[in-house]
Amino acid sequence: MSSAVTLEKILTFVVDTYMVEIEEIPLDESLIDEGIIDSFGLIELASFLEKAFLIPINDTDLTRDNFGSVNKMIALVHRKKSNA
Amino acid sequence: MCGVFGVLDANNQNKKKIVLNALSRLNHRGPDEWGVYLNKFVGLGHTRLSIIDIEDGQQPMQSSDYIISFNGEIYNYLELRSDLESQGYSFNTNSDTEVILKLYESIGIDCFEKLNGEFAILIWDKKCEHLIAARDRYGIRPLYALQHNNAFLFSSEMKVFDTLDNYKREINAQNLFEHGLFWNTLADNTVYKDILTIESGTFEVFNTSGRIVKERYYQVGESFKVNETADNFVNTKKAFKELLNDSVSLRLRSDVPVGTYLSGGIDSTIISQLVKNQTNHTFKTFSVAFNDKSLDESDFQKLASKKVNSVHHEVKISNRDVDDNLLKTIYHTERPIFRTAPIPLHLLSNKVKETNTKVVLTGEGADEILFGYDTFKELKILKEWKMSNGDSAAIESLKELYPHLSHYADARQFAFIKMYYEGFLNDFENEFNGLNIRLANNKIIEKYFNKSLGLKFDKTTLLEKFKTTLPANYSSWSLLQKNSYLEIKTLLQGYLLSSQGDRMAMSNSIEGRFPFLDHRVVEMAFSMPDDYKLKGFDQKHILKQAFESEIPKEITNRPKRPYMAPDLIAFIDSKGKLSDLASTLLSDKCIEEYGLFDTKIVKRFLNKFKNGVPENTGYRDNMVFMFLLTSQICQYWINNPPEVELDMNKCVVDILDM
Repeated sequence: MSSAVTLEKILTFVVDTYMVEIEEIPLDESLIDEGIIDSFGLIELASFLEKAFLIPINDTDLTRDNFGSVNKMIALVHRKKSNA
Repeated sequence: MCGVFGVLDANNQNKKKIVLNALSRLNHRGPDEWGVYLNKFVGLGHTRLSIIDIEDGQQPMQSSDYIISFNGEIYNYLELRSDLESQGYSFNTNSDTEVILKLYESIGIDCFEKLNGEFAILIWDKKCEHLIAARDRYGIRPLYALQHNNAFLFSSEMKVFDTLDNYKREINAQNLFEHGLFWNTLADNTVYKDILTIESGTFEVFNTSGRIVKERYYQVGESFKVNETADNFVNTKKAFKELLNDSVSLRLRSDVPVGTYLSGGIDSTIISQLVKNQTNHTFKTFSVAFNDKSLDESDFQKLASKKVNSVHHEVKISNRDVDDNLLKTIYHTERPIFRTAPIPLHLLSNKVKETNTKVVLTGEGADEILFGYDTFKELKILKEWKMSNGDSAAIESLKELYPHLSHYADARQFAFIKMYYEGFLNDFENEFNGLNIRLANNKIIEKYFNKSLGLKFDKTTLLEKFKTTLPANYSSWSLLQKNSYLEIKTLLQGYLLSSQGDRMAMSNSIEGRFPFLDHRVVEMAFSMPDDYKLKGFDQKHILKQAFESEIPKEITNRPKRPYMAPDLIAFIDSKGKLSDLASTLLSDKCIEEYGLFDTKIVKRFLNKFKNGVPENTGYRDNMVFMFLLTSQICQYWINNPPEVELDMNKCVVDILDM
């Protein structure tokens, strides 16, 4: 799966779930800090990533390094897929 | 409780019609009697709920050169009266109304700081030809002002202005947005264009040309001295208990029966216990119960009732009740709400009325003054986290927060909580303090507004505006004292005392009284060391300790749980169908017609619930839905004001003083 496809899937999920326009989603900022999601939103996002990309997310994965921006989430997905 | 109205206009000699039209809309606040006073300059109106000196306390009341229309209770009126009598003043009635008048006659505008109570006061000073508008310290009783066609108008409720010729209320979108962010508008703003509020703890003086004075007679925290050594815990506990007891004692002064609300939590249980200690007869208690077991607290309510030996009444609320009563509730609140919690209180006040009780004591204020909310814990944790540079003990204590929200307890989800709070580490010590968290949670509503309104969440600009509303000594307070102040000014005043408190009680002509908001109690609590109030993570520590032996342990030991009613699930069924009310007011057509919100975004939001409301739906979705729906309802009531007749047989005062 290419980065572009992963990006599109994530962005579509965020647009549909959090009432923002696609152009309003920052790719390198924290979605929480931008007020797009709250802590519950992170849980929804992690569940979405697991289901959409068929990857396991462990407790140790739950860090700002992995979830701190859309680009970081794409990197996480690809890392998980390449380890599978 | 009562309704007041005033019109200051020397050019209009037909003020009677204006006043009578206004009073028809204040009927619910004062169904027993009404009165009007008119002279060349001013018209004053009053609708009365008779509680003290039923026989003689009619208003507007005149005494020598002063006329008053007042909504509220002055609890220390007997002491003030005694003082005035010793100075040679004589009284014609037994009312607290006359005490205010005579006090004003004696010391003028210095009178307000002497009053212990809750009030919205209009006084016409014939000598100076001034109208004075004053409001109590915490905004318990409402008072609004509007300039229209060179007239200055004052009213207990904003809907009254709908009766004016050539006037229609208009929502101010920027203020509506601010209301959505903070749970209150800032300074003297309201959500409507041109309508201002007389700020709590202030009075304003008007002549026929306009306002000439605005002065603050009280500021929260004014008696706190930074370098003063506090008394020890045991002495403070004793003094606090005695003061709270006295506060209850004053608030039992009434010529009609007094009951209490019981939420099942510690604050209202303590108030009820204090009432029991002071009365030698059984009194009534009132509670809201829910069919939904996850919201119901009736076991604790019944336990409390049994302890105080009260005659207990409850209203049982279904999801359907919430939907059925929202429209009427917002008629009374006049502003959007963020949760449905006020609605059952509208139904509860009806139950109170049915039992022929007019007055209830309730527990509002305790959480704000004694650090009862979880925001206080959050701030404490953030501070310790920041100081410890990521020490795990400080972070682990995040788990203490919000036990009633199941997803906080799960270990996996804990990691996300940590990520969420990390974002506040840089900001929580700025002037927004605990409001940084509320802003972060609420700012998403920006996305829902109609794009053509051009609203933008600009935290920097908002912070600058916000700073101008803060008291001069704000920076000298501790982190938690600041949060206490902010919760009093936003959540308490903007929502709990108004939408949930005064307006819901008043909707059925019931008067709520708040012993924790006796200003002596508030000031004593404010001045206490932080750890008397939040010891470790024990909230309202000193209160629990003071009443340890008198309150059932099951109630004292309950984790903090906010009173809540069903939100989204009351309006959307399990198949995703919206109730008639919601589907009409959130339809594309209505959203477009009212112009406040973006049709596409609202539709997308509602689409989330097309298969019903997911079980783990969080704060945000519930809040957004209620904010959208109730903002629409506010506009609905502007467009469809009801016609209300004034019962001319209930006129008790009709003074034409030309």
